Amino acid sequence: MTIKSKQKSVHWELNRLRLISKLSLLVLTAPALTYANPGGETKVPAKYRQLKDGTITGVVTDEGQKPLAGVTITVAGSKKSVVTGEGGHFKIDGVKEGDVIEISSVGFKSTTLKVASGQTQYSITLSRAVSTLNDVVVTALGVKRSAKSLTYSTDIVAGESVNRVKTDNLMNALTGKVAGLTISQNSSGLGGSVKVTLRGSKSASGSNQPLYVIDGVPMLNTANANGYVNTLGTNGVVADGGDGISNLNPDDIESMTVLKGASAAALYGSQAENGVIIITTKKGKAGKAQINFSSSFMVSKVYDLPKFQTTYGQTSAGSPQSWGSKIDTAYNSDYTGMFFQTGHNLTNAINMSWGSENVQTYFSYANTSANGVIPQNTLGRNNVTLREVAKFLKNKLTLDGSASYISQKTNNALISNGSYNPLASVYQVPRGLNLGYYKDNYQVPSAARNGLLVQNWALPVGNTAFQNPWWMLNKMTNVSQRNRFLVTVSANYEASKWLNLQARANIDRTADNYQNNLWAGTFTTISAASGQFVANTSTVQQSYADFIANAKLFTKGKFKLNALAGASITDGRQQGYTIGSNQPGLGLFIPNVFTVQNMIVTNANNAVAVSSNVSSLPENHSQTQSIFASADASYADWLFLTVTGRNDWSSNLSYTPNGSYFYPSVGLSAVLNQALNLPHFVSYAKVRGSFAEVGNAVPLYVTHPLNNLGANGGVTFPSVAPFPQLKPEMAKSIEVGTDWKFFNNRLAFDFTWYKNNTTHQFFQITTSPTNGYGSGYVNAGNIQNSGVEMTLSGDVVRHSKFVWNTSINYARNKNKVLDVASDMGVNQFLITAPTGIAFETAVTKGGQYGDMYGQKIATDAQGRTMLGPTGLPILVSGYYYMGNINPTWQGGWSNSFTYKNFALNVLVDGRFGGQVYSQLQASLDNNGVSKASGDARDAGGLKINGVDTGGKSVSIIDPFKWYSIASQTNQYIYSATAVRLREVTLGYTVPLKSSVISALRISLIGRNLLFFYKKAPQDPETVATSGNGLSGWQTFNMPSQRNYGISAN
Amino acid sequence: MLVAGIAICGIACTKNFESYNRNTNGISSDQLAADYNIGSFFNNIQASVFKDRGNYQITQNLNADCFAGYMMSADPFNPSVNNLNYNMTDRWNATAFSSTYTNVTGTVYNLGLQNLRSTNPDFWAIALILDVVQMDRTTDKFGPLPYSKVGTDLLYTPYDSQKDIYNLFFLRLDTAVSNLKTFIAAHPGTTPFKKFDQMYAGDYTKWLKLANSVRLRLAMHIVKVDPVTAQAQAQTALADAGGVLTLPGETATIAANSTGNPLYGITVNYANDISMGAAAESYLKGFKDPRLPKYFLPATDPSAAGQYKGIRMGLQLTSKSVYQNFSQVNYQTSFTVSAPMILMTAAEVWFLKAEAALRGWSGAGNAQTDYETGINTSLAQWGVASAGYITDSTSVPSDYVDPKNTANNISAASSVTIKWNASATNEQLLEKIVTQKWIAMFPEGQEAWTEYRRTGYPKLFPVVVNNSNGTISTQIQVRRIAYPVNEYNTNGAELTKGIQLLNGPDNGGTRLWWDVDKANF
Repeated sequence: MTIKSKQKSVHWELNRLRLISKLSLLVLTAPALTYANPGGETKVPAKYRQLKDGTITGVVTDEGQKPLAGVTITVAGSKKSVVTGEGGHFKIDGVKEGDVIEISSVGFKSTTLKVASGQTQYSITLSRAVSTLNDVVVTALGVKRSAKSLTYSTDIVAGESVNRVKTDNLMNALTGKVAGLTISQNSSGLGGSVKVTLRGSKSASGSNQPLYVIDGVPMLNTANANGYVNTLGTNGVVADGGDGISNLNPDDIESMTVLKGASAAALYGSQAENGVIIITTKKGKAGKAQINFSSSFMVSKVYDLPKFQTTYGQTSAGSPQSWGSKIDTAYNSDYTGMFFQTGHNLTNAINMSWGSENVQTYFSYANTSANGVIPQNTLGRNNVTLREVAKFLKNKLTLDGSASYISQKTNNALISNGSYNPLASVYQVPRGLNLGYYKDNYQVPSAARNGLLVQNWALPVGNTAFQNPWWMLNKMTNVSQRNRFLVTVSANYEASKWLNLQARANIDRTADNYQNNLWAGTFTTISAASGQFVANTSTVQQSYADFIANAKLFTKGKFKLNALAGASITDGRQQGYTIGSNQPGLGLFIPNVFTVQNMIVTNANNAVAVSSNVSSLPENHSQTQSIFASADASYADWLFLTVTGRNDWSSNLSYTPNGSYFYPSVGLSAVLNQALNLPHFVSYAKVRGSFAEVGNAVPLYVTHPLNNLGANGGVTFPSVAPFPQLKPEMAKSIEVGTDWKFFNNRLAFDFTWYKNNTTHQFFQITTSPTNGYGSGYVNAGNIQNSGVEMTLSGDVVRHSKFVWNTSINYARNKNKVLDVASDMGVNQFLITAPTGIAFETAVTKGGQYGDMYGQKIATDAQGRTMLGPTGLPILVSGYYYMGNINPTWQGGWSNSFTYKNFALNVLVDGRFGGQVYSQLQASLDNNGVSKASGDARDAGGLKINGVDTGGKSVSIIDPFKWYSIASQTNQYIYSATAVRLREVTLGYTVPLKSSVISALRISLIGRNLLFFYKKAPQDPETVATSGNGLSGWQTFNMPSQRNYGISAN
Repeated sequence: MLVAGIAICGIACTKNFESYNRNTNGISSDQLAADYNIGSFFNNIQASVFKDRGNYQITQNLNADCFAGYMMSADPFNPSVNNLNYNMTDRWNATAFSSTYTNVTGTVYNLGLQNLRSTNPDFWAIALILDVVQMDRTTDKFGPLPYSKVGTDLLYTPYDSQKDIYNLFFLRLDTAVSNLKTFIAAHPGTTPFKKFDQMYAGDYTKWLKLANSVRLRLAMHIVKVDPVTAQAQAQTALADAGGVLTLPGETATIAANSTGNPLYGITVNYANDISMGAAAESYLKGFKDPRLPKYFLPATDPSAAGQYKGIRMGLQLTSKSVYQNFSQVNYQTSFTVSAPMILMTAAEVWFLKAEAALRGWSGAGNAQTDYETGINTSLAQWGVASAGYITDSTSVPSDYVDPKNTANNISAASSVTIKWNASATNEQLLEKIVTQKWIAMFPEGQEAWTEYRRTGYPKLFPVVVNNSNGTISTQIQVRRIAYPVNEYNTNGAELTKGIQLLNGPDNGGTRLWWDVDKANF
């Protein structure tokens, strides 16, 4: 192309020819800006001297040489700003030598470059940011703020980081990447929910999980794909079908911002008491159509399984224990190897983006197909999203609409209850049984039932006997199906230069079906002889709307004042039915036909009083109406003050005198490097502090308990003592912190100290049943979480071909129960009462949230174990403190190495301190299947320092006797410290010169590869439930899994 | 402007909040106001006396039913160290404690708050009778308990001594009897309670008889510790115009619970979790009792096939398979899935009268007549009338033989015979009366265990293994159940005072108030 220029700039010429918008890259060959002057002074050749400005072009890539779109390129001190398009290319004109160009993008560390003489083309590599303080940060309500003005700590995780290794619940990908964020996996396998806590547990009986916000709108996370909330107890006979967050397509995520403190979250209101995770999703970009395809294939293998003995067999025929005589060890000893399989997860995702300046479209589709390590456990998920952004009225009005549809089906999620849990069976089955036979012949025709195929098993029906694990896999099945729609529309109108108005509305509707079928032949302890099933259907819908006015109130000299005011309404409700029962019920007319019309719902014939087998779910209608406002004042762009206030009206507080509650926050930050003359190696220095209060309503219905309908039309009074004077919970939090960057942003450090006190806690406590209820509500307590968080990151090597970036995060949280209810003379409330298990958790004054209590074996004054007349260790009556799950500190260390087209990421993380209680190990020992129980027998007994009733010393004890008592005690408390290699990815960007494919990256990925250190028998991160109650109690959970695979995108 | 508008709405639009925050599955008291539906609460009260199989198993079957010698479990209930060999299993016994309060006593307290005593005094009478029956079953397990102050405080509920509890029983029965008599006189033949009645189809005259019979039973419980009150209360019961239970058809039974008859469930659904006790075998077999095949099924274990074979109490078992095919309770014809649970038989009342007569109390009639009528009432109740049974003067309890382990063999604990012997001592006659009462009230182990502790009859085999660490005597046997650990945690201060009222350590060896270590006469 030849352009005839009449001494004008190339830009001017192109513009004249209407070519400029059609070009994404212009390479200038003219000598227009190439000149050199040995004296260091710029001398423009006379011919071009009147052209003051030039044009530069470039390409922005990440460390893996992957082009980055959407990067903002700004000429410092001017209003010139462009955004990179497809392929990471940019062009900016009106640039002169010496100008400083700022390059920034959410999720990356900002960088600058100086326009050098003679250089018109620039290759810029942005490195991933742990915290991007110079960036624009999405804060509460979707408001974008400059990072330096924030008065609290935030952590930003780029979408790429979430996507690097695909897991079935995207929250798992955040583990170890954010200081102060604790993620515990639920035990139910594929698609299971996660327990996420930020800066420790605060609420004794409310949720301790953060609020999830998608593009400014709170997301529904409470429902489970089985229609039940996410609090399975010990005897949970309902599978965990996954939480709301697990349904999302990680590929749609642009970035995630973690707001840990109450100050950050104050504007969101009560739901944000435990922090907020803000998810910004992708949207279409102007420019040429762009298609991204990514595919990942992962395999999972179990490891770190319990260790078993292979020497001793069944106690006697029919016994569920292995305290018998020696067996042929070569025979079928690898029961677990026979049981587990290699799991896999195949995720394919495609997204397309195209658009003009005025209208942009984004479309994505993702499919996940996974098989668990336990046979028959599968997950299938489809996600479709379409998003349109359009501008009207001379770009003053922006409409943004997005619709997502998610369908998910989970088969045979692990049910924790022992009678339903095949792991309890396969681990504890007496050693020496020919398990292979029972695997191949788990069902046989029953002569007594005219050939009906029933369970074939070596053990009889009984309370403690285990069923055939393959029968459990194939004939005790559960399926969860979820259909979810998320529709959001928003309108943003620039009413004037100083006023911006925004309105948003969102509907998040989740329809779930769950069914659990028990076939005829299942043990009659849990099923009717003809088989039975429980099915439920539930639809949960949350509607949200808000209106926000954002005003630049005034600028006077160096003072600026912006303000925001708005109102919102959140309305959630549930509908659904449950059919059938988890209890052994009346069964089916025709065996194994799992339809509702085949279910015996009442049994009028035999005069047995029955509960109805059909029940409706409570409507759970809850509405919160809010108004809120915030004001941001700044001075000279280095001192920032933020004040917020919010008032909530919650329907959950109706029937009490406290229907609404107000809570404020205030924060101050100062950017020191702009205010003071700091040494020039300090590129950035900020101090910040904030204080906030966040209120929280009480759960549904508790202010107005009603009678319940039970068996045969019978009515019972509420099971919890009524307490109409309930007050909303209040959390006060204070945090101070500082952020520093050195050596041209090469080294970054930030530090935060915080203290959070939750008072007026709403407790549902276990009381003595002698009050007629056995539980009650109180408003009491003061639970304090205080701690520090630190992040240190830097480019150790920053070379054109080799970059090594390392980042360390550290968080220490100290939880302390300052008060329980001293005004009532109470210093302890139980969270989990020891019913059915010899274990309790409690909130005790001076202790920590969720302290674990257990039984112990008596010792005499000399510390010797006391044995009773029959040689059994003596159990001391009562429950004694054993430990607490809370880690003392947690840390993560991530490294990224980039060499030419290769990129290697390694993440190591650890949690230090805290304890777990292993019910698993206790059961294995007690049943005589554990390696320890075998070793003890080989050695002729367990060595103890004991004393019998006659005062005689005892040094050896029969392991059977020891374990039968010890298995109910604090002997099974273990350190929860664990350090592991969490994530490794090795990526290679394939150099391509194709016009069709613009970039291709292939990665080898691995997750949870190995433990560097671990003492507990099971991964201490795995918890029995994502609810509050049984924290630290580990039972027959999913074993640890090592995941590795390959991905291409 | 708009914000202000929404703010105003924020106040005005909250008027629906109360309807949002109302559980759509709940039922308000207003909805129960008409059509006698306040009676809906009685469903659960009655059902909770024995509860469903799961709860019955731990609240009664694995303590009282076994402690009374009726039954024993073949299941080791991992780890085979439990109630049955005197190592008290807190998580079982805690349910026996809590269920009484949450299902019965707490409900009755709440019904009182709803003014039932004045709105429906007849319903209130039934509430009080059931409350007394259930609290008696509980206090006779534990001893001092919260009773008079139940429901008054969330966190602190004081304990009453067992003496005060029994006195309150008698007062509550006074009210119940008076209310029922007033109602029957005013509305003869009406049955407003019929829809809710799982015991007597709304027939208040039978409820009145039950109230008097319960009074007689309670009076006899305390005869050794407070003979004056015992005699006075027994005579009140016997003199009341409403009468006591006398006919087989008047036996108080409660319809099978939601999961069916609990003994059926424990046997069938829990795969023979309960079996015949060795003592039951010894007496029923020795007496060639015609009720034996009604109560139990022959063993199917090859070592004892076709015989009635029980299990020794207090074995330390290793595997359920060893004894699980010994005799089961007869779930096939007697304790079927729909069979009601027996709370109090008319036969028991005859035996109570026999003892009252022996003690010379007025209104008790002739001891021998009462005794023989009691036996015949029981035989008639089970449809096995036999003229020769009461005249059998030779059959004695048989020795017990364990075909699996001869170490468990034991000679009969007693040589008591059936036939009345006018020349025998009162003590010997009391053994006859209580032994026959024990047979007749099967399978109600709670009352049988109470009477065993009070009188020492019938003589029972001791446990084979005693894992109580010296707190329970093998010879004198278990006297009570320890308070639940949960009570220490949640009502500890009051419990400490309660244990002072117990007058002994909180373990299974401490005697209750009425359980006095002295001769019966």
